[in-house]
Amino acid sequence: MLISSFFIWWYGDGWKQVVKSIKIRTMSISASFSVNSLIRTWFAPWKRIISYTGDGFDDKIKASLDNLFSRAVGFVVRSIVLLAALVTIIFVAVLSLIEIIVWPLLPALVPVSIILGIIL
Amino acid sequence: MNEQAINLGNARHKKARLGKKIGKRGFYLLVLITILCGSLATYILFIGGKNFAALLSAPAIIGFMLASWWKRDLSVLEPHNKSITDRLSYDVLSNLPISINDNKQLFQALSNNWQSDFILGHLTISDEAVLPALDNSPEALAKTWTVASQIADQNHSESIEVGFIIASLLMQSSAVKEMIVKSGNKAEDIQDIVNWLARSLDTKKNNKKYYGGIGRDWANGWTPLLNKLGQNISLSIEKYGANYGWLTDSEGVKAVESAFDNNAKAVALIGPDGIGKSSSVKALAQKLIEGKSTPNLAYHQIIGISAMDITSNAQHPGELEALIVNLVNEASKAGHIMLFIDDAQTFFSDQPGAIDASQILLKVIESGQVPIILAMSDSDFQRLRTKSQNLSNLITPVKLQELDQVGVMRVLEDIALGTEINKKLLITFSAIRAIYQLSDRFDQDMAYPGKAIKLLEESVPHAQNSMMTKETIEQTIEQISGVKVSKVAPEESGALLNMEDAIHKRMINQSHAVSVVSNALRRARAGVSNPNKPMGSFLFLGPTGVGKTELAKSIAAIYFGDESAMIRLDMSEYQQPDDVKRLLATGENESSSLLLNIRKKPYTVVLLDEIEKAHPNILNLLLQLLDEGRLTDESGKAASFKDSIIITTSNAGAQEIRERIEKGENIEDFANQFTDNLINAGSFKPELLNRFDEIVLFRPLNPDELKQVVGLMLEEVNKTLSNKNIKISLTDAAITQIVKEGNDPRLGARPMRRALQRAVENSVAQKILSGAIKEGDSVTLDVADLASE
Repeated sequence: MLISSFFIWWYGDGWKQVVKSIKIRTMSISASFSVNSLIRTWFAPWKRIISYTGDGFDDKIKASLDNLFSRAVGFVVRSIVLLAALVTIIFVAVLSLIEIIVWPLLPALVPVSIILGIIL
Repeated sequence: MNEQAINLGNARHKKARLGKKIGKRGFYLLVLITILCGSLATYILFIGGKNFAALLSAPAIIGFMLASWWKRDLSVLEPHNKSITDRLSYDVLSNLPISINDNKQLFQALSNNWQSDFILGHLTISDEAVLPALDNSPEALAKTWTVASQIADQNHSESIEVGFIIASLLMQSSAVKEMIVKSGNKAEDIQDIVNWLARSLDTKKNNKKYYGGIGRDWANGWTPLLNKLGQNISLSIEKYGANYGWLTDSEGVKAVESAFDNNAKAVALIGPDGIGKSSSVKALAQKLIEGKSTPNLAYHQIIGISAMDITSNAQHPGELEALIVNLVNEASKAGHIMLFIDDAQTFFSDQPGAIDASQILLKVIESGQVPIILAMSDSDFQRLRTKSQNLSNLITPVKLQELDQVGVMRVLEDIALGTEINKKLLITFSAIRAIYQLSDRFDQDMAYPGKAIKLLEESVPHAQNSMMTKETIEQTIEQISGVKVSKVAPEESGALLNMEDAIHKRMINQSHAVSVVSNALRRARAGVSNPNKPMGSFLFLGPTGVGKTELAKSIAAIYFGDESAMIRLDMSEYQQPDDVKRLLATGENESSSLLLNIRKKPYTVVLLDEIEKAHPNILNLLLQLLDEGRLTDESGKAASFKDSIIITTSNAGAQEIRERIEKGENIEDFANQFTDNLINAGSFKPELLNRFDEIVLFRPLNPDELKQVVGLMLEEVNKTLSNKNIKISLTDAAITQIVKEGNDPRLGARPMRRALQRAVENSVAQKILSGAIKEGDSVTLDVADLASE
């Protein structure tokens, strides 16, 4: 009875849980890397450091350059983190995909490996 | 009720039992086998041993599959459907044998679980005592399952937990209920404790929190000034955790969220101390930092700044303005920040030397750069309205309501759970209820739940043997405030029963007055009198010098343990309408304030001398005091008189009492008529007289009684001389002489002390100095020995 319970779970709820875990893991990684927040503020100045323009032309140019630089720093740092998040999500997604494919095959792999061990 | 049977021995039950057998150790062993065999198989495959690699992968795969099964299914066992069997939790099923025949067997199977300890421990009953008292009738088992399932439904729990079944077992047995009552609880407490357990289970399940991730703060600016002068409430919650679950969905927090979501510039949380203003802000901070608020407010941080610190950092208004503006600008530039000013009233204080910052606050709030939360009392907000209409119009007031008993108990339970874990002790449910019931006696200035939380915290060091009981709470209150709340001990009981004798050792006769007062004190201490009124209230009427004040002093000394446990006010000093303010003043050095004195010393005799001379407005206040046992100051804060004895004295009608006694009338016979005469003469209003527990008439002392008074006074003299080992006694003639000299019908026994001092003390002093009396002498003085004027 317990063996049948195991197989019922393995090919039923167990497999469903593996599929569901892709979504949970992706969301967890996304939250840990603050993906939503980083995308929303991708081009915002780094730590809100901005210069205020004066009256003269030179001041305006200087302030614009400062602000551009602040935005560039923010863009670069956020891009690096977003890239790291993307890589992690892809990596975990691929592993999860492999898990989904391999999951139903695992019970069958036990006798297969024993047979292979004997005949090889 | 339609009881349902359960179907044990099914696949789910077997899985739970297998899950328990494997346990955490088995799981870790399976993981280890998987890793070791898998690694070894990979290594062997690389060095060319294909057959061994294939053989080793079999245990690795089996280990992985079994570990996955245990982790995701066997040890979790999510409830499947609505039937009771399929709702039983893993903890229940894994502990149950294949068949259960009766309640006792069920209890034995589950009583080792922590949830069982939680319920029985908080009820202070043991499983050994419960087992024989359970209802073990054949139909009881089916009812146990049904009631347990109902408890689960009431607590919105899909699964039926061990605690629900234990509670169901206890609820069914009248013998267990009796046991619970004997242990100082109520039978209904089972329901409250199981609800408490359900909440803690819910918190355990939902403990995973996200605070916005590593990039959250990169969208915000730096805040060096705020870091220096403020306290980041949100980061401290993120770092140290928080338990404001009960408040995050409260009306107050929702109102603040809604106000800011609708672009309010500032919100004032209004309410007395202890009502939860700061806690509401912390609950809001928790909600925001977890991103559970609206998108506009999610991940905002709340930084608390102290108005007191800021004003003390500024020497003059200009500097203060610059500092506030800099703080607000910094918060605004940094973004995602709310400012919380806890002691906001400091900014518009009328106190001498205080800087009025209401105009600066007006500018800052008007600019709308940063959402600001202020906390203040109702009277402070009213004062702000009077002072600056423009400023108060900009602020959205959110008035916090005091929690009811259920709410306060929930708060206490949640905090108690944390305290139990941190301090490694058990706080019994009767202790938690005692905290709720007695915190009013402990701190009169605070509102619920603050005063209850304060009492809980103060009681922790008093816990003994890792247990905090009702007695611990009572001891804490008695030690801190002096108010007697514990059961009457045998020694105290004896003192109460013989109170009249103890009083008569200090004063002569007035037996009726002594008896009336003693009875009132016994009623109060035994818990028979109305707890919402003063312990006793008396009007002492009679001529001067007959023992009215002496009786008040005796009560203070005998009942409250110290003659100085008395607040004494001469009401002839409160004859003007404005004197009401003086009586209710709250300033620190107002010695003439009744409110201030009672807050400092709630367990006391309040002696109001010459009450008839007080202004009628003060007499009206007295009506409230006698009716409700409390008075309220200007700011709306109540002061309780429920632990005090109110004694008012008056000489009104003294002449009439004297004349009637001289005519030979008995005081008890004319007491009612005398009271009517006082009302008719306009000395007292009937509504005032009706509110006293007793109106006690004191009669003038006759010569024999005055002689006894001399005896008492002589005892005092001997007490003083006891360090010289000298004892003085008087002949009867000498006593008669002193009474003759000291008796004044208008002043009663009052001149007697002077007469004794003059006649005896002066004489003894001369004899000691001349060497006629030496240490160790016992001397009897006759008339001739008494010093003359």
